[in-house]
Amino acid sequence: MVDIGLFTQIVINGLLLGGIYVTIGVGFSLAFGVLEVVDFAVGEYVMVGAFMGAVLAPVFGSEGIFAIPIVLVVFFALGALIQPLIHHVTTGDRPHPLLMGLVFTFGLATFLRGSVLTIFGPNNRDVPSSLLTGGVTIPGLGTFPVVRTVTAVFGVSGLIVFMYYLYRTRGGMAIRAIAEDRTNARLMGININRYQSIAYGAYAALTGSAGVFIGMTFTANPGMGLQYTAFAFFMVVLAGMGYLPGVIIAGIVLGLTQSFTAVYISGNVVLLVLFAIIYGVLLVSPAGILGKGEWAT
Amino acid sequence: MTRKPKDRRTFLKSVGGAATAVGVAGCAGLGGGSERDYFKLGAVTSLSGDLRFGGEVTQRGYDLWADTINEEQGGIEVGGETYEVQIEYADAQSNPSTGADAASEMINDGADAILGPYSSNVTLAVCPIMEQNSMPHITGSAESPQIWQEGYEYSFGTIPTVSIIGNEAAAALTNLEPQPESVYITAVNEPFSVATGDSMRAAAEEAGITIENYEKFPRNTDYTNVVSAAQNADPDLHLHGGHIGSHVNLVNAAEQLGYNPDGFLMHYGVNTGSYKDGAGAQAPHTFGATVWIPSVDREGGVLFDSPQAYADASQSAYETAPDYTQAGSTAAGIVFQEAFKELGAAPPLSQEDKDELIGILEEIEVSTFYGDVAFETEGEYHHNNINTQPLLIQLGEDGSPTIVGPEDSATDEANYPVPAWDER
Repeated sequence: MVDIGLFTQIVINGLLLGGIYVTIGVGFSLAFGVLEVVDFAVGEYVMVGAFMGAVLAPVFGSEGIFAIPIVLVVFFALGALIQPLIHHVTTGDRPHPLLMGLVFTFGLATFLRGSVLTIFGPNNRDVPSSLLTGGVTIPGLGTFPVVRTVTAVFGVSGLIVFMYYLYRTRGGMAIRAIAEDRTNARLMGININRYQSIAYGAYAALTGSAGVFIGMTFTANPGMGLQYTAFAFFMVVLAGMGYLPGVIIAGIVLGLTQSFTAVYISGNVVLLVLFAIIYGVLLVSPAGILGKGEWAT
Repeated sequence: MTRKPKDRRTFLKSVGGAATAVGVAGCAGLGGGSERDYFKLGAVTSLSGDLRFGGEVTQRGYDLWADTINEEQGGIEVGGETYEVQIEYADAQSNPSTGADAASEMINDGADAILGPYSSNVTLAVCPIMEQNSMPHITGSAESPQIWQEGYEYSFGTIPTVSIIGNEAAAALTNLEPQPESVYITAVNEPFSVATGDSMRAAAEEAGITIENYEKFPRNTDYTNVVSAAQNADPDLHLHGGHIGSHVNLVNAAEQLGYNPDGFLMHYGVNTGSYKDGAGAQAPHTFGATVWIPSVDREGGVLFDSPQAYADASQSAYETAPDYTQAGSTAAGIVFQEAFKELGAAPPLSQEDKDELIGILEEIEVSTFYGDVAFETEGEYHHNNINTQPLLIQLGEDGSPTIVGPEDSATDEANYPVPAWDER
């Protein structure tokens, strides 16, 4: 007999967990769709963002959430500076540009992880925010943890803003043109370097800020990045490579699958089930659940 | 100057001769026949990877012993001569197979003895290497009962198995008033944590308390689901086996979902800085298990005059308060030091010396700041030091631990039932 109270709570947990994945998947999907970079550093941006939240929170009276604007700006600038380097190693006459990008970002990930480990040591670090503590209980439905709800809202908002920028502005049109055909976009007079820097900066900013939220939800730890890199890959495979709207569906599928498997089957088989879904999607619909990813074209 | 061209045969002779020379030199090192005026200990621990926090704790423990004996006594005195101690580290990278390779490397480098790794997983991989090479090995930080149930001849441990620590701490908690009627037990699915969960379950069963559920899950699980299932069962106590990251995630999820049992008992690492820093406002009132804290009422012994003197030395050297893993690691060094003295052999130790050392370790009784160390030679936990009294601790508002159980060891009264999250 299924306990209805537990069932609805598991649905809430799954949706909000999916929301956390959305915050990471949006930027990662954008980076792949627009820049064709499989960014292995995505999880480390999350980790560095979490540590920035931990460091900045005391400045704002132990409210990590107020660190978000600073993290957004810093990561945007960082991303805009890193992108030309990625562009350099993935263009020209270099063989296997996708692999070059992967190797470059893998090195970047190792550098970021090592730097944080050296500076902060191996300890966990709390990212406090008393404004986001506790949960809101709706009788008959369940409890919505405030920090997770705000994180999910942030992720979905980030997606909406990106979508608006991409499909409703001239800058977005330029970025889509670059994604479609880099050479033709250049011939049309689009400043490719500028728009690629904007896209990568926006991705880094969103991912770093997601790190602050994740730090507030869990904790900051130098080793936390790898699991988020793995989930970012899961997200784009399920969503369809480079297909932004699919990220929400992918997040929901991942979150709900994880939650229901953990409670109604066993926590030990969660990864097995997730991998089975990923392999299934890759075999049956390589363009993602909705079939609208890059491989469909 | 013109270089004379070599034919293939001459080249092969040269390479063969050089390789033989290197091999002979290496064998000389392996056999321990070379002169050395210091004791060389190999330490295998995790200095990178998921377990690096604990790896650094053990490293501090081993280093504090070596630095103190070298600085205060000039080393270990054997037969009227004093020999310094040098520890060489190999990184297990939080990986059992890498740890086993690192142990082999240490043995091949001619170590006199080995100080053991952090974590039971890695220790379980290292112990067979010690057996194969007849190498004395004391670990200061492995608690899984499996290690000692195997009956290894060359491995010893200063920290009691978690079957004892977890069991006695849980038993002390279940004796608090109002006596709990139900518990929910969770454990990360790896050997140490499951052994912890098992020991807590045994304590609950012995106390006749209802076990609502005993759930095991992988390390990177999302704890809202764990907490929701537990919350639905509404237990009086939540007992958890895992490492520090899992404790932090558990209390964070509990706070977010308003899950309020009368207390959380978690093992290992509640009284570490990493838990206090990671859990933040959620850390106070957590119960934990230990065999040593600086305030424990115990006499000192060899090298350190008291537990507090050891804590002060740690604070001075590393600006860090030691926990029982660090203390147990230092105690491992002290035990080797006393055994070397009793052996009376100058370094490097021969294989006969090492075999004799095992007999000495089996008989040894050393009084230290950490407690009296003597290893079991009969019973279930072979070569484990089970003499040290397990303690139930609780973190105060400032995150510092106090001993709240068992009754005859308690220095403070437990804050129990703990306040609900929204009342803190």
